[in-house]
Amino acid sequence: MNPAHPHTAPISQAPSHPVSAAPRRSVLPMLCCLAALGLALALLGNGYWIKTFTSALALSIAVAGVALLYGQLGLVSLAQYALVGTGGWIALRLVHGTGLPFSLCVLLGGLGSGLIGMIAGLPALRLRGLYLALVTLMIAGAYQVLITATGFPDGGDGWLGRVHGTARHIIPRPALAASDTAYLIYVVLWLGLILLLLEAHRRRKPGRAWALIRRGNAAALAAGVDILRYQAWAFGLAGFCAGVGGALLAGGIGQLDGRAFQASESVMLFALTVIAGAYHWLGIILAGFFLRVIPGLLTDFGVSGYVATMFFGAALLHALITAPRGIAGQWLDGLARLRSRRQTRKTAHTESAP
Amino acid sequence: MNTLLPFLVAGIGVGSVYALSGVGLVVLYRATGVLNFAFGAIGAVSAFIAWSALRAHWPLPAAVLVAVLAGALISTAYSRWISHFLSEREPIVRSIGTLGLALILMGFANWFWGEQPRRLAFPTDAGGLDFAGTRLTWTRVLSLLIAIAMMLSVALLLARTRIGLNMRALANDRSLSALLGVQVRRVDTLSWLISGAFAGVCGILLANMVRLHATQLTFLVIPAFAAAIIGRLDSLPITVAAGLVIGVIEALGILIPGFAPFRTSAPFLLALIAILFFRNTSRQA
Repeated sequence: MNPAHPHTAPISQAPSHPVSAAPRRSVLPMLCCLAALGLALALLGNGYWIKTFTSALALSIAVAGVALLYGQLGLVSLAQYALVGTGGWIALRLVHGTGLPFSLCVLLGGLGSGLIGMIAGLPALRLRGLYLALVTLMIAGAYQVLITATGFPDGGDGWLGRVHGTARHIIPRPALAASDTAYLIYVVLWLGLILLLLEAHRRRKPGRAWALIRRGNAAALAAGVDILRYQAWAFGLAGFCAGVGGALLAGGIGQLDGRAFQASESVMLFALTVIAGAYHWLGIILAGFFLRVIPGLLTDFGVSGYVATMFFGAALLHALITAPRGIAGQWLDGLARLRSRRQTRKTAHTESAP
Repeated sequence: MNTLLPFLVAGIGVGSVYALSGVGLVVLYRATGVLNFAFGAIGAVSAFIAWSALRAHWPLPAAVLVAVLAGALISTAYSRWISHFLSEREPIVRSIGTLGLALILMGFANWFWGEQPRRLAFPTDAGGLDFAGTRLTWTRVLSLLIAIAMMLSVALLLARTRIGLNMRALANDRSLSALLGVQVRRVDTLSWLISGAFAGVCGILLANMVRLHATQLTFLVIPAFAAAIIGRLDSLPITVAAGLVIGVIEALGILIPGFAPFRTSAPFLLALIAILFFRNTSRQA
């Protein structure tokens, strides 16, 4: 295949029609699953694990944005963790500076991040494939320098809202989710809302437009899709997801550390989205867990967290080579196979009966 | 001028490594269409091997040679056994695959050698050339010479040899070259070998200049991507020039009041500005 003309080459990825492969991905199982997950985690976990699960779920919200770009449009954005940081920054600044209700700050953090994501995605209108990945990586690198130098607002004066000399202020939890368990459920609610929002997009006109853009600009133009609008909208939505995730992350811990927002985190976020599966909500939830829970579990068992990094690397190669729909795809395929086997057994049974 | 000179010298040192990494990335990209995100990780493993060898009292040339060979070997092994499975996929997927290799190598280096910050110290660090009040250590002098020699030999290889011609043919049109009898896999393997050796040298030099730390070295390659982007992943001379300019600007940024904490963002900003002026990039990658 000629690397210079990717658009003329056929898309050889096996699930190049993930949209048509699962036309009626029902919303009800998703909501039931989320509710069960939220309840189970809230009931089973102890203090440390509830906090870990909360940040895992908050990251799942950010993953939803990466999955939207990669799964629906086939675009690789390596700057999404920078947008997580942006959302967290805006939310922290608003909580410290204005005292608005927390949920409103989360929403505004998401919107601000979405706006910046839209602007950052503008080059994507001209760049695709590798160049887009590189541009977003450059953005992530620049953001890393910026946020390491400025840090996150922690209740001080001035535009940056940094305190000097005294202890960093921690923002209070929202009134309706003051305890750790309640906050976990609060994050699950946000995750559910975001997944519903994305699903609503996928089923309507934007989803069809995105599927066409994925096929190439020529296909989209021929079908009369307004590429500029729908692609910018997708980047905005992905930024919104990242921002909400960042704001919820900030709310869970009470503050954020600038050194935790390295460019490598954006790369990990993308890698784990591909590993877990970018085409299904199950993958979105799984990716958050891989990011936060597996390293925690390994540390619990006395294994170095770097073993997880090695494992993720191998899993990424595995996912790219043999399982393009990720772990979620493999599970769902297994489930479908099980169901069809039971179906055939049932029909065989009724046929053999007189 | 005298106040500028030390920063200029430091900038050219780092810049030459950026240039060298950029060349390693571009050579591989041109021949195979893969952008190697694992470039820094391969360099990190090489640097750690050199460190272990030096600790075992190996002579410096032997340690460096083995380390660079290891880098070339890892890179070749990846192309032979893993990259090969992705060869029919979109270019972006083939490049993302190297991200998997990067994570494996980075995790391994962190786990095997530990993450306490170290520096890769060479015996050649001690002496040096005194030059207008600035000391240029022998390591820097040697690395500059090695960098120039490597870049020249790659340029000669591409311009003058049969295999270089084949590499350029692959860069132009892969399937057509295969039809004309270019042995695609052999050329692929050679490109990965060269790129891996470049990665090894860059990793060792950066571990000496900055720090011997797997995660940091893995992602120190990002500024080198900036040089490659400015060279449009195609032109070796522009990539070299961009690498040097980025290194110098990054070093001189420390003199600009208020910009000092942000100076390491110079490569990214330059790359983003450069991309704004590209035309028709959608066909390139």
